[in-house]
Amino acid sequence: MDFSGLKGIVKHITQITDTNEEFECAEGKSILGAMVELGRKGITSGCHGGGCGVCKVQILKGDVKTENMSRAHVSADEAASGVVLACKAYPRSAVVLTVTGLLHKNIVRGANAKSSK
Amino acid sequence: MGVMRIGHVSLRVMDMDAAINHYANVIGLIHTGTGPNGEQLFKGWDEWDKYSIILTQSDRAGMNHVAYKVEHDADLDQLSEKLQEYGVKTTMHKAGHLPDCGRALHFTMPSGHEMYLFAEKDAVGKAVGVRNPAPWPDGLKGTGAHWLDHVALACEVNPDKGINTVAANHDLFRDALGFYLSEQVLVGPDADIRVVAFMFRTTTPHDIAFLPNEKSGLHHISFFLDSWHDILKAGDVMAKNNVKIDIPPTRHGITRGETIYFFDPSGNRNETFAGLGYLAQPDMPVITWDEDQTWRGIFYHTGEAHAPFTEVIT
Repeated sequence: MDFSGLKGIVKHITQITDTNEEFECAEGKSILGAMVELGRKGITSGCHGGGCGVCKVQILKGDVKTENMSRAHVSADEAASGVVLACKAYPRSAVVLTVTGLLHKNIVRGANAKSSK
Repeated sequence: MGVMRIGHVSLRVMDMDAAINHYANVIGLIHTGTGPNGEQLFKGWDEWDKYSIILTQSDRAGMNHVAYKVEHDADLDQLSEKLQEYGVKTTMHKAGHLPDCGRALHFTMPSGHEMYLFAEKDAVGKAVGVRNPAPWPDGLKGTGAHWLDHVALACEVNPDKGINTVAANHDLFRDALGFYLSEQVLVGPDADIRVVAFMFRTTTPHDIAFLPNEKSGLHHISFFLDSWHDILKAGDVMAKNNVKIDIPPTRHGITRGETIYFFDPSGNRNETFAGLGYLAQPDMPVITWDEDQTWRGIFYHTGEAHAPFTEVIT
């Protein structure tokens, strides 16, 4: 069931350029949390605490609110240029992102393999 | 006697309030004090020493150090000598270097992890006391974890560069610290490369585990619960508190432990596990898992890969 037409929860579309996927994310949920809840796999799911770094993405378009992210995985320069951990990024508008995390190659390879079948 | 058991783990957390809530109300540890640098100290209700968890504020997650308790203060001098004979640099710190502890012997493992040995720590007693005690105390929160049981460290293994710090840590712990090997995973064409080592000083299957990874870090810290039903209830506690579960309740082949894995608010992996598996003894024949049975050893029921479990560390 989709109750989004009732406008009870504010949701924004997140688009992953690497896999051409789109999904809706409520403002109260992290991009990674919403993706995992919907059973999607475009971004690698790890600790969901901003600590392990596997869900590192680059925001290409749109605004996100962020929470604590490990400096071991996102430097100050990277953060300034829109690099975030998807588990600690909450959309405030429609978002377009590209995956830069640990298993990026595997995911893109997996998605390509799937689409070529 | 040398090393007795795990003493504590010092963790880095990025949001201290969230971490305190997690370890106090979700794991169910008891807050026992604040260290000189603002560290937050916790113990399980069944532990008697003042703390087994130290939380420190940081801009990243992970482990600062792990500490093991030795029986006698003089053991520290003997073990320092053994470590130095082995070629490991040691530093003996004065009492108070670790909060509420006596002398502390520091060294760095081949994997890069920091470790302390200590003989004395302030004792505050079990929550049920020692005179005609009840089997459990009232007012436990969350999972009601008994004690910090062990730590599993991700250790750099890179065969192409000839790096295997699982094997190097194992050899050091065996030869200098008197740890015994309970279970291992052997890989390679001759099945002679040790890439997983579970080691003990108590009578349980592991007091420390060394697991392979591209780089070194913390794999998990583990707390003890009584029974399989407690593991199920721990799952309920995680769901109630919106805690990210890594692995829902299941059983390991290695150690036979009944287990659930989840993450603290900074992403440090926690385990609560039940069942002591079996009685580990110095003369127990070592258990070996073959390369093609590794996932059966990790998740006994499915025997299937779950990449985040082996790849995600802090």
